[in-house]
Amino acid sequence: MSMKDRERLFGELRDAIVGFDVEAAKEAAQRALEVGVAAERVIDVMSEAMGVVGDRYEAGDYFVTELVIAGEVMKEVIEVLEPHLRGEAGGGLGTAVIATVEGDIHDIGKNVLVTLLTTAGFRVVDLGVDVPADRIVEAVRESRADILGLSALLTTNLEQFPLVVERLRREGLRDGVRVIVGGATVTEEFAREAGVDAYAKTALEGVEICRGWAKEFKA
Amino acid sequence: MAGTYDDMMAVYEGREGAAVVFQPRIKHWHDVNLSAGTLPERYQGMYLDEIYRDLGVTPREVWGLGGPASEFAGYLALQAREGDDVEVWVKRTHGLFYETEPHDFLITEYRTPKGTIQQVQRLTEHGTSLYNAEYYLKDLRDIEVYKHILQERSYQWDRLRFEWGRKRFGGVIPLRVQLQRSPLLWLMVGTMGFQRTVTMLWRHPEEMAELLRLLEADHYKQIEACGGKAAVELSFGDNMHQDMCPPPYFKRYVIPFYRRAMPKIHGQGMYATSHWDGFVKQLLPLVGETGLDGLECVTPLPQGDVTPEEMRAGMDGMFLRDGIPAVMFCPWMSLEDLEGHVRRMLDLFPPRLILGVSDLLPANADIERIRLVSEIVREFNESR
Repeated sequence: MSMKDRERLFGELRDAIVGFDVEAAKEAAQRALEVGVAAERVIDVMSEAMGVVGDRYEAGDYFVTELVIAGEVMKEVIEVLEPHLRGEAGGGLGTAVIATVEGDIHDIGKNVLVTLLTTAGFRVVDLGVDVPADRIVEAVRESRADILGLSALLTTNLEQFPLVVERLRREGLRDGVRVIVGGATVTEEFAREAGVDAYAKTALEGVEICRGWAKEFKA
Repeated sequence: MAGTYDDMMAVYEGREGAAVVFQPRIKHWHDVNLSAGTLPERYQGMYLDEIYRDLGVTPREVWGLGGPASEFAGYLALQAREGDDVEVWVKRTHGLFYETEPHDFLITEYRTPKGTIQQVQRLTEHGTSLYNAEYYLKDLRDIEVYKHILQERSYQWDRLRFEWGRKRFGGVIPLRVQLQRSPLLWLMVGTMGFQRTVTMLWRHPEEMAELLRLLEADHYKQIEACGGKAAVELSFGDNMHQDMCPPPYFKRYVIPFYRRAMPKIHGQGMYATSHWDGFVKQLLPLVGETGLDGLECVTPLPQGDVTPEEMRAGMDGMFLRDGIPAVMFCPWMSLEDLEGHVRRMLDLFPPRLILGVSDLLPANADIERIRLVSEIVREFNESR
């Protein structure tokens, strides 16, 4: 297949993901595999498409609902690619552990962040909601995480941020992991006092911060 | 507190000249602190309505909720009656087999000729609230079961609860009935979960349209059951948030529902509000199209995403219940900011304001800030 044909095929894949046409996306991915494109390269193209979805979200043309559907499309296409992936797919930018802290069950923002980080190229360990500090620290240790993302919506649970930071410090893990927090009641000032490295108002802002850190990790 | 009833009716009716009522939700603060043993000494041993009186504010949530927030429990002022062939089984457990840590769960199971659906709710740290660990509706089969339940279900006015509340608070606060969320939010927040609802709407639009139609019909049963009783306001507990229900969804699912439901509510002589406790900047310009009379809990900056002025502009012609961000009652926020915000709300919204906390007083809030706001409101009312 010529470079031009290959680019056209990648364009079809991108358009299908951005337009949430799951069958067309799976077909384009399958065709790419059949003409010898590496599955990892197909994932790169999918990440580019998610970048377009993210841009449209930022511009106000797409909403969280579209991010969810795009994530569903991505999942189905990855199922097509899975048998062809060599070892661990993605994760090249580093490992991120993500959790909603203990006592809080709000997970929409967290889930969007997980989807965006995954498609951006991070390996993501999603601990879910209502996660105790000890379990978070254990996951950071086990996964050798580069980034820890914590979410909380309720004011009563914000105290979990400094608690987790303190536990990381006590376990000697704090210097090896960047901590980012988010949630509607979180303020920049509160985040600073909690001893974390960054605060993000939105999931997209969070991904940008993590991308910036990933560049620093590689430097 | 004499006159509060009329002052609140003036808000519904848009009448000038009434005093502003401050009616914060403090039940959550009370229940958690009572359970944790951290209730300030002054309030120990008091009933919730006595605390309200002590603070000089109008009571709320004192009519009592319907117990654990499940389908089975029914709603404030309404009792749900399930069909003859629908069995409801409820059990409380300490830990589930697939959980690594023991927790208290409430499992509600509906057994019907069409099959069984199950919801698992987890009790919060102090056992004062519940949240879904597992939703009823997980796939198309569950939807078929749920459709049967909805078709068979009826509602009746909870006369005993109403009589209890009327004796105690009837002359102080108009009766406000809590209904289910509007159909889309009912699914997203209550029975299916946000992500699954979005995915199912995308994958199975026809089946979901039929389900939404049945949920709407269920609402009409609820409205009908309230008609001709003492209810003044019907409150849809939508938990509206633009990330969950963005403008395209709002236009497609929410506005049409309210446009059909509001004439039925007004026809029964009642008012209706919706609970908007998330980010709503993109939705406020659309709310006028719903025909709703008011909004509850719209949350301004720094907790929400709108200024009071934007709220005022978006809600033109509607009344506001609440309006003070809950976080302003926390000790780390400045008192000057709280005072300034309250005065701004009092400048902008009367006569269409029932002042309160958006959403409710946090468990770690400083209760004395409620007294402070009460004092500001009293001064404001006296100065007019």
